[in-house]
Amino acid sequence: MQVKDIMQSNVRSVKKGTTLSQLLISFKDFHSFPIVPVVDQEMVLLGTVHICSFFEIFQPHQDLLMRNPLSMISREPTDIFNVDIEEGMGFLIIMADIMDTKIVKIEQSADIRKAFDLMQLHQKTAIPVVDDQKKLVGIISIFDIVMKIFHEKGLI
Amino acid sequence: MNIILGVGIILVFGLLSGKLAEKVKTPAITAYLLLGIVFGPFMLGFISEDMLKVSGTISNIALSLIAFSIGQNFSGKIFRQVGKQVMWISILEAVGAWLITLIGLLFFKVPAYMALIFGAIAAASAPAAIIMVVREYKARGQFVDILMGVVALDDAWGLIIFSLSLAVAKAMYLDLSSSLGSMLMGAVIEIAGSFLVGGVLGIILSRIGLFLKNQTDLLIWTIGVIFVATGIALHFHFSVLLTSMFLAAVVVNLNNESFKFFDILNHIDWPIYLIFFVLAGASLEIDLLSKIGVIGIVYMIFRIVGKFLGTYLGAHIAKSDDDVKKYLSLGLLPQAGVALGMALIAKEQFPQAGNIIFTTVAATTVIYEIIGPFFVKLALHKTNQIHN
Amino acid sequence: MYVKDIMQTEILSVKRGTTLTQLLNMFKTFHSFPKVPVVDNNGVLMGAVHIRSFFEIFQPHNQDLLMRNPLSMVSREPADIFNVDIEEEMGFLVIVADIMDTKVVKVNQNDDLKKAYDLMQLHNRDSIPVVDDQKKLVGIISVFDIVMKIFKEKGLV
Repeated sequence: MQVKDIMQSNVRSVKKGTTLSQLLISFKDFHSFPIVPVVDQEMVLLGTVHICSFFEIFQPHQDLLMRNPLSMISREPTDIFNVDIEEGMGFLIIMADIMDTKIVKIEQSADIRKAFDLMQLHQKTAIPVVDDQKKLVGIISIFDIVMKIFHEKGLI
Repeated sequence: MNIILGVGIILVFGLLSGKLAEKVKTPAITAYLLLGIVFGPFMLGFISEDMLKVSGTISNIALSLIAFSIGQNFSGKIFRQVGKQVMWISILEAVGAWLITLIGLLFFKVPAYMALIFGAIAAASAPAAIIMVVREYKARGQFVDILMGVVALDDAWGLIIFSLSLAVAKAMYLDLSSSLGSMLMGAVIEIAGSFLVGGVLGIILSRIGLFLKNQTDLLIWTIGVIFVATGIALHFHFSVLLTSMFLAAVVVNLNNESFKFFDILNHIDWPIYLIFFVLAGASLEIDLLSKIGVIGIVYMIFRIVGKFLGTYLGAHIAKSDDDVKKYLSLGLLPQAGVALGMALIAKEQFPQAGNIIFTTVAATTVIYEIIGPFFVKLALHKTNQIHN
Repeated sequence: MYVKDIMQTEILSVKRGTTLTQLLNMFKTFHSFPKVPVVDNNGVLMGAVHIRSFFEIFQPHNQDLLMRNPLSMVSREPADIFNVDIEEEMGFLVIVADIMDTKVVKVNQNDDLKKAYDLMQLHNRDSIPVVDDQKKLVGIISVFDIVMKIFKEKGLV
């Protein structure tokens, strides 16, 4: 079975230039923040925004500094309760600033088993799906796969 | 070859051999052991003397981590969860294997301290080999549930039996001339010391652990305390296994979120076990194999008898089904990791006899890993746990 | 600021005896499986079901117990969920108590927000259940709830 057979194709994505405020407003009523793919004008996948991306705002350049393990002052989590954020930052910060470019993605024609293995290896619960031009076409989650199996076995 | 290159090669080939073993339905630990023999001084001579020298340190680290993990079973919650049958059977089959093997070897004129050690090692079983069979045949049912519970717990009892036996055996070996009283005194000090160190450090691990706020600190703190406990135990000649196990038992019962200390180790423990088992294989003295004949056979046969009688008695007390009484012990025969670990400790403690113990256990481990799964299958067939 | 001020109070929870099929039906239209607290008849928190709990169904028995012996691992491969024997009636036979995670990280509703945040960071979780003084489930709090709260305070939303 291929990824495209069970993926969700109706995905909420954002552009590189989407501002932080625009993003927050569209997820205002959510309690958990999903993985949101970031795409360019041609829908080519550039990165993802997820809950950890927000920590970039509280602690800029963290992503870059992480590449040198000794640059960390300590591994304490960011003290998010005591940070300097101004109102204007809602318009100044765009997705390109905070998105995670370490993307784990899967081709829509790949086997779902490959998608499952990828998610296990990278410890993700969902990953974006692309076509052969690297354009975003959907998202597949572990739950989609588990549900599919239960469905096939007649449990639901 | 320097140690870093050696360890690197062990890790790389260990991973490959583990994957290969999986293809032929053998537990990874057996593959590591065989890899060690191939790399060792008797074949490729690839693992240098330098590396074998550090293997003592690596075994102590690996064994304390294993004992720490197994120690988390000692909580009231787990005992309630597994139920009466599993408790009785797992305790009595472990004790049964110990007692019958001990008596059997004494009958064949094996020195008492050696017989004690062999008996204790007989208690251990190899969960991985058993799970593999259950998984392969997709076996299901009450029998399998009880088998899995017993297999999960019996290494915990095995480690306790081994630690106590080792303390007594050491006392017997060291002062043959002295009285029974002073002999037992040495053993009592070793055991009490282990409990004291494990207990005090368990309280510290748990209490200070409450102040930690990220996974990196948690990992550092947990490993740090385990090493301190193991180091103190080694310094005072207490039992490394008992100390770590008791450390874990105290933490589990003190702290509601104690699982954090155990789960964090999952990221780092497997490479250590891999190195540990490869080095164990490398330190096997192949030329001793020809000398283990009688002891090996007696050990194997009496272990099986002991497992059977212990299981039968345990199942009788817990009022289990006839199927469990008769066939469960067949499922407990595979032996690997924990037994080898125990044998390595014995090898360190007793210069001469230790080598014979280790070589015997390593050889019987390989035999048990080959015939064990066959008996597990038989047990599952006899009790109709294999469907279709 | 306390946990109770921003936690979500309208949450789905299940009982220990809820069957697998009942559970799956509740989330039929979902694409991600949220953390679902498990409570007893008095509403006391017993555990939680999350996406990994489903893997228990694909594994041999007592996986939870066997994990406590590190050498019992055949390998650290994930379960081969594409090649398992599940029969239709397991939907009724498997109940939440069989698969739930009893390693619960929880926070009291009167605790400070910072404590909830630190706990989630330490245990690497996105959300945790909230209980009252009687250990009864009263809500759930997520990292995103806290982040959103801070952004709102600063006037970004």
